[in-house]
Amino acid sequence: MSQIWSIGGGKGGTGKSFIAGNLGILLAKEGYKTLLIDVDFGAANLHTIIGISKPERSISDFLNRRLATLDETVLPTPIPNLYLISGAMNNLDIANLTHQQKIKLLRNIARLSYDYILLDIGAGTSFNTIDYFMIADSGIFVTTPEPTSIENVYRFIRSAYFRKIHHVLKAHDFRTLADEAERQNGNATVSNPEILLHVIKELDPEKGDIVEKALRTLDFKLILNQVRKQDNPNIGELICKIIERHLALKMSFIGNLSFDDHVHNSVCKKLPFVDLYPYTRTALDLRECCKNHLSINKDKTSVQQYLTA
Amino acid sequence: MKLYQEKNNYELLEIHPDVAPTEIRHAYKILFDLYQDESIATYSFFSEKERKEILSSLEKAYLTLIDPESRKLYDRDLVGLGGLEEERTYSNHKKNPSSIYDFKKTHVQGLVTIRDPEELKYRASQNPVIQNILDQDTITGRDVKKIRTELKITLEEIAEATKVRIEMLRIIEEDNQELFLPMVYMTGFLKSYVRYLQLDEVVILDGFIKYIDKGK
Ligand SMILES: Nc1ncnc2c1ncn2[C@@H]1O[C@H](COP(=O)(O)OP(=O)(O)OP(=O)(O)O)[C@@H](O)[C@H]1O
Ligand SMILES: [Mg+2]
Repeated sequence: MSQIWSIGGGKGGTGKSFIAGNLGILLAKEGYKTLLIDVDFGAANLHTIIGISKPERSISDFLNRRLATLDETVLPTPIPNLYLISGAMNNLDIANLTHQQKIKLLRNIARLSYDYILLDIGAGTSFNTIDYFMIADSGIFVTTPEPTSIENVYRFIRSAYFRKIHHVLKAHDFRTLADEAERQNGNATVSNPEILLHVIKELDPEKGDIVEKALRTLDFKLILNQVRKQDNPNIGELICKIIERHLALKMSFIGNLSFDDHVHNSVCKKLPFVDLYPYTRTALDLRECCKNHLSINKDKTSVQQYLTA
Repeated sequence: MKLYQEKNNYELLEIHPDVAPTEIRHAYKILFDLYQDESIATYSFFSEKERKEILSSLEKAYLTLIDPESRKLYDRDLVGLGGLEEERTYSNHKKNPSSIYDFKKTHVQGLVTIRDPEELKYRASQNPVIQNILDQDTITGRDVKKIRTELKITLEEIAEATKVRIEMLRIIEEDNQELFLPMVYMTGFLKSYVRYLQLDEVVILDGFIKYIDKGK
């Protein structure tokens, strides 16, 4: 079974696709059979990052049954060991999947057989975005050291927290318990989802236990991208600390990626960055992040709790 | 898992109860930097009000623990609340490594009264003064004291049995809130007190919290 990493974070333009593509390349070069999946259906561009200008097939061929299996949509790339499922949609296909389509897609992703599968998640915090993010064994947030981007990470995490509880409790129970939490705490529940868990545990200890266990399976990671010299290098660690102290969720800091104008050059040339500029600070940072993440995640076996919960 | 608001001073500062003062200072410094205004890492996570509350609770925790005297008192209260084992306090850790025989036990055997819980419950149920208080919407510390005296139980006995310092219990009974610290401790002490009297803790705590809220 494959180990799935998702790369997301709420804010647009922080470097999610850049990081997904380049981590994929690094993993492939390490000898791992790696698959990149672009699930940013409205604005798919992961193919460009790894040097494919016009993908011939995409995920929509599977969703619209032009191809029978998800496997058939896989494209080879110029890099050995690296494969891609493009998220590019033609204009007639809709970028917003129905619930059934989404479930079907998630099931089929979980069945693919690679060493690593990396999902490039689009911006925003819609239910679909969160669900793609949460299917992963490891959810990597990408943020820049800017307030707007950090704000979106926090928003994403809170939504994911609620979504997880919702998923475990099923709609009816969730509504009842959420209403009670709101009655007791007003708006505080929304800004402090921990309160919701607390109320659930008080009203129904058994369910509370199940929810708490489920939340404990969430395993978030954080990469700080586009870090400039003048930025505080500790921000990433601090963000993880806040999440652990106040939401009691696991979140590990993976590393800083320096800002580098060469990134722009590589994107414009439509060539993979780590290949084109392997000796820049940022390329070294990327390798460091890849290594860190591999070692943090080493003892994890892929279990798709999300689909079976 | 505990709500943030329910953490004790050690948990707030993320330190063990037996650490030395230098570590307390260090821990406080790190957390202060994390929550201070300009910290971009917490941007949007807290409202300004929450941030101020967190900073002030950290400061309070720090000031309580950094002073050896107030730390000792605090530890005693925490032991009384069941939040800390006596052997793990800093003062114990420092002075008495481990004694095999507990010679120093402060309890005088004769002082510990054995109460029959059913008998207490029965007496309370038959007492109109107590029943009237339990029917009230708000319940003050003085009301609680009234219940206790109606049951003819001394405050010393409660202090002994609950391990809460008698001064703390007195503050509650005298409704001396200006002197007193966070609500969690107050309700924590009161809970031990009420449990010892075999009274309905939900009713009393509800009434007490309403009373405190009104005073604000
Ligand atoms: N470390 C970096 N240094 C300099 N520029 C960077 C860096 N990382 C990303 N960029 C720039 O940011 C731009 C956006 O990156 P990318 O497309 O990967 O973001 P994204 O998060 O996937 O955006 P979207 O939300 O639109 O999918 C890139 O074109 C690139 O020029
Ligand atoms: Mg992208």
